[in-house]
Amino acid sequence: MWIDVMTITNKAIEDELRLKLAEQYAVLDGRTFQEFLQASLIWLKANQQVVNSLNVFPVPDGDTGTNMVLTLQSAMEELNNLEEHDISDIGHAIAHGALMGARGNSGVILSQIWRGFARALDDLEVMNAAVFVQALQEARDTAYKGVVRPVEGTILTVSSDIASAAAKAHESGVDSVFALLEHVVEAADLSVQHTPELLPVLKEAGVVDSGGKGLFFIMEGMLRYAYDQPLDQPITEVQPLDALQINDAAETIEPGQDWEVVVDFHPQAELDLGRFYSGLEELGTSIQMGEGDGMYRMHIHVPDKSEYRTIDYVKNFGTITNIAIENLMLQVGGRKGVEDISSLELDEIQADEIAVVAVAPGYGLARVFASLGVAALIEGGQTMNPSTQEIIAAFEDLPSQQIIILPNNKNILLAAQQAVELSVKQVKVVPSVSVPEGIAAMFAYEKDGDLEPVAKAMQAALDEIQTIQITTATRTVEIDDVQVKEGQVIGLLENKLAAAGDEIQDVLDHVMEKAMLEDIELITLYYGENYTEEEAQKTAERMMSKFEGIEAEVHAGNQPHYQLIISLE
Amino acid sequence: MAAEHKPSGHIMIAPHAIATIASHAALSSYGVVGMASKNLVNGIARALALDPSHGIRVNTAQGEIRIDVFVMVEYGTRISSVARSVANNVRYQVEKAIERPVTAVNVHIQDLRISNVD
Repeated sequence: MWIDVMTITNKAIEDELRLKLAEQYAVLDGRTFQEFLQASLIWLKANQQVVNSLNVFPVPDGDTGTNMVLTLQSAMEELNNLEEHDISDIGHAIAHGALMGARGNSGVILSQIWRGFARALDDLEVMNAAVFVQALQEARDTAYKGVVRPVEGTILTVSSDIASAAAKAHESGVDSVFALLEHVVEAADLSVQHTPELLPVLKEAGVVDSGGKGLFFIMEGMLRYAYDQPLDQPITEVQPLDALQINDAAETIEPGQDWEVVVDFHPQAELDLGRFYSGLEELGTSIQMGEGDGMYRMHIHVPDKSEYRTIDYVKNFGTITNIAIENLMLQVGGRKGVEDISSLELDEIQADEIAVVAVAPGYGLARVFASLGVAALIEGGQTMNPSTQEIIAAFEDLPSQQIIILPNNKNILLAAQQAVELSVKQVKVVPSVSVPEGIAAMFAYEKDGDLEPVAKAMQAALDEIQTIQITTATRTVEIDDVQVKEGQVIGLLENKLAAAGDEIQDVLDHVMEKAMLEDIELITLYYGENYTEEEAQKTAERMMSKFEGIEAEVHAGNQPHYQLIISLE
Repeated sequence: MAAEHKPSGHIMIAPHAIATIASHAALSSYGVVGMASKNLVNGIARALALDPSHGIRVNTAQGEIRIDVFVMVEYGTRISSVARSVANNVRYQVEKAIERPVTAVNVHIQDLRISNVD
C-alpha cells in the first residue's frame, strides 16, 4: 500500500506547486515575459538539432531549427537593447527583431506569429490570461494571412491548435497565464504528433513537422522556466531497450566527460522520469534512457570522480542489476589514426587525358577508387551530400579538359548534372547510384580515349551489376510494402527497400532471394565502420556455401552508416 | 522544350507543364499572397490565378531550364527571406517532378499586399 500513499503524496505536492505557480504567474509583466522568452530561446537552441533532423518539408534541407533559433535570437537582441519594459514595448521589440532577422521559411512564419502576438499587447503594461488568449489568436490569424495556400500539418496548424486550446481553457475558467501555458504546451504536443496525418510527405518520411516542433519547444521553454527546470540540454525521449546497446558506437564526447556509465535497474515504484532526469542532469551529459520488461537502462557521460556517485544516485530509484563503466578518454585516443581521404595518392593525369572524379563515402572505398585510377576524390554519400560547387572545385584544377563524374549516390546525381552545366570543361556524368556501380564503371575506364565513347562504355559496365546495401533504419516507416521499425536492419537492392529484420544474415538472405542470380560469378562485400572484418568474412563464407559456383571477396570500405555494400556481377 | 534522351525514345516536357508545377510551388510558399502579371505593360497584378501557370515564365533555351516567378508578397514579412524560400521551393519541386536540374530561378516581387495593419 505504501506505493499508493507515495503516489498520492507526490500528486498533492505537484498540485500545490501548480497552484502556487498559477498565482505567481497569473499576470506577466514585461520583465517576466522577457525572461520567459529568453528561456524559449535557450530551450529551442538546446533542441535545435532535433528540429533540424525532422525537416523534410517544404524542402528537405535540414535547417528549420537553425533558422528558428537565428530568428528568435535576432528578436532577443532587439529586446535586450530595450529600455522600456511595458509588455507592449516587449511585444513590439520582439516582433520587429524577428522580422529583421527572419531566416528561412519557418523564420518568416515565426516572425508573423510574433507580429500578431504583439498586436494584442498594444498599449498594455501587463499581460493577463484574457490578453494571452487574444494574443495567441492574433498570432494565428496573422500567420494564416501570410500565404494564399496554407499547408496544414505545419507550424500554422500548431499555431491554430494552441490558440483554440487557450481559448477553450479560458472559457472554462482558467484565469492565469501560467495555467493557460500548461494547456498550450499540451495542445502543441498533441498537434505536433498529429501533423503526419495532415501532411502525407511527413508520414512517408516517418517524422512530425519540424516547424511545429520548433514552436512546441518555444512554448515548452517558457513552461520549463516557470517550473525552474533545466533548459540547457535536451531531454532524450525514452527509447526501446534494444535500441540502446551497452557498446554504443561512435559518440560525440565533450571535454570534461571522462566516463561512460551504463546502469540497468528495476525501479522500486513507477519511475518518476522528470525527477530522475533532473538529478542526472546535474551529474553529466548525453543522457539516454531505455525501457523494457519492467526494467530501465540509463546511459550517461560524467566527469572524473562522478562515476560512482552516478551509481549511488540510481540506487535511490531501484535495484541495480548490471553496471558498465568505460573510460571515454582512452576510447577517444584509440579512435585517432582513422585515415583521411585527402591523404590518398592519386594518379597524375595529363592535359589530353580523361580524368574521373568519384564521390566516395569512407576511406576504404576511396582507396579502391584511387587504385582504379581516379584523378580526384570527394568525400560524401548518404547524409553528407557534396554541393555542385564542391564537385566543380574537385576537378577545376586538374590539367585535363575532359572530365567524367561518378556520383555513386542517387542524392548526388542532380548536383553532378548541375556541375556539367556550370563548368567550362567538357564534363559527362556516368550516373552511378551506388559505390559498386561506380567501381564497375571504373573497370571500363580508359584515360586515352574520346569522352563520349568512354562514358558510354562505363555506363554499360555499371548497368551489368546489381547492388545490395545493408544499413540500419533510422525511422519507423513503410515503403514499397516493406514494414520497417526504427533500429532494424534493412536491405536495399538497387537502392530500393527489399527486406527488413533484426539480423543482418536474415535480411541478406531475403534480399538475395529477390536479386537476379543467373550468371552471377562474383560477390564483393565492402564492410563499413560499424561492421568488423571477421563478421564480413563469415558472411562471405556463408554466401559461398549457400550459392554454388559463386566467389565472394571481402574488402574494407570504412563507409559510415552502411554495415555492408555488396556488388553482384 | 526540355528533352531527356532515353534509349527507347524521348520524354518531352512542355514549358507550360513546368510552369504549372512552379506556380503551385510558389503559391504554397509562405509569404506569397498571389501571383502577379508577368506582362508589365498590362501592369495589373491579379491575386487570383485563372491560368495555372499565371505569373511564371519558363525558358528552356539550349536545354537549360530557367524560371522567372512573379509574385505578390505579404507586407511586413522579410522580403529577402520570402524570395529565397520561393526560389528554393520552386527549384526543389520542379527538379523533383521532372528529374532535370533547373539552371536558375529568378523571383520578382511585383507588389506587396497589406492585409495586417499594425
